[in-house]
Amino acid sequence: MAQSSGGKKPILKTIVFGLFSVALYAAAFSYGDTLTALFSRGSFWAAGPIATVFAFSYAHGAFASNLWTCLGIEASRARATKRPEVRPQPRATLNA
Amino acid sequence: METLLLDSSKFIELNFQAVGFLFIVGFIGGLVSGFIGSGGAFVLTPGMMSLGVPGTVAVASNMCHKFPKALVGAIKRFRYGQVDIKLGLIMAASAGVGVQLGIMIQQAVLGRWGQAGSNLYVSLSFVAVLVIVGGYVMMDAVKCSRCGGEEKTSNLAKRLQKIELWPMITFKVSGLRISLWFTVPVGLATGLLAATIAVGGFIGVPGMIYVIGASSLVASASELVVAFAMGLGGSVNWALHGMVDIRLVLIILAGSLLGVQLGAIGTTYVRENMIKAVMATIMLIVAVSRAIAVPQYLVQLGLMDVSEGSLGIMSNVSFAFMCLALLVGSVIILGAMWKARRAEAAAYAKA
Repeated sequence: MAQSSGGKKPILKTIVFGLFSVALYAAAFSYGDTLTALFSRGSFWAAGPIATVFAFSYAHGAFASNLWTCLGIEASRARATKRPEVRPQPRATLNA
Repeated sequence: METLLLDSSKFIELNFQAVGFLFIVGFIGGLVSGFIGSGGAFVLTPGMMSLGVPGTVAVASNMCHKFPKALVGAIKRFRYGQVDIKLGLIMAASAGVGVQLGIMIQQAVLGRWGQAGSNLYVSLSFVAVLVIVGGYVMMDAVKCSRCGGEEKTSNLAKRLQKIELWPMITFKVSGLRISLWFTVPVGLATGLLAATIAVGGFIGVPGMIYVIGASSLVASASELVVAFAMGLGGSVNWALHGMVDIRLVLIILAGSLLGVQLGAIGTTYVRENMIKAVMATIMLIVAVSRAIAVPQYLVQLGLMDVSEGSLGIMSNVSFAFMCLALLVGSVIILGAMWKARRAEAAAYAKA
């Protein structure tokens, strides 16, 4: 879709996060019914679904981001207004 | 791990079709949300209910997938310099109050006219807000595209920004300074709509554009911050009542996290009026969908007489229009990205 920046593709990262994501999904769905039943108890079990979606969004989100980059789908170089990596430091000046 | 029995009155048995449906709708919904900031998840609640999921579990599971999706989308768009966190947080705080107001109004309607009256109120609010706001956004998008796609700050926003009413707040990313008293009503209306029709962004994004004066890019990106904050609060509340079906949430997330990042990438390719065009198109198609659903509530209230068969057809057509809204939105987004990518590639080849 979008054009590749031509830089190095994060293939290793994609594989690592992909495996991490698959492992999380496999673990969750192996005990899918049990997890759902536990989380439906409410009260302090409410932390369960919230923590679970944060963990999945980290692993699967990183995988998805790297996957699009590997497929050459990246932000436009012409229009994206990238945030500067480092804040510009104020320079001390002396007014003589 | 101990084996627990699943409450079959609350949680459905999953099959291949259900998983496929949720993944695909999650992906398309994510794509639309990543692009316009909201509005991608409204098909999921009726979609899950059509699979047999009870209404409250469908609403809770939808909300629980929305906030991590919004978080991932917001992070992606923050990297592109589009998110105004301050604006998003102020909007979210006032939207939180709006949600409580919306719930109070809903409860009053429910108490006076019952479930059918409440459904009618929701559908009529849907139609009125979407037709008025969606129509205005569409007119502006068309006007904007005729002038080359460059956005101009609305006259209302310019006037409001000139009024020096303490406390004045500077939004650096949006590049504007406005009184808090003009941002709060937009947040309140967003929350009110979120509590009524579950898609606050249909007011929040146009409000940030036309009342506060943010650009479409910043407004749609900052709406993701609002969606995250409100979604997290709502999800905790639903989870405390044990209403979240984590299996459904994870399946939808699998698709939506892919979609939301693609939508976010798409915003860097298109002109700003394209965000307005997609949002308005979706809003107007959804308005048609909800208008078709109105007669069933009028029948329940005894105000209209329509046969069961016709009501069934209307219900299916209404749902089909909702799916169509998402599909049309995603086709416009992908088409615009594709066109812009080709133009950019051609420009680079020339240089």
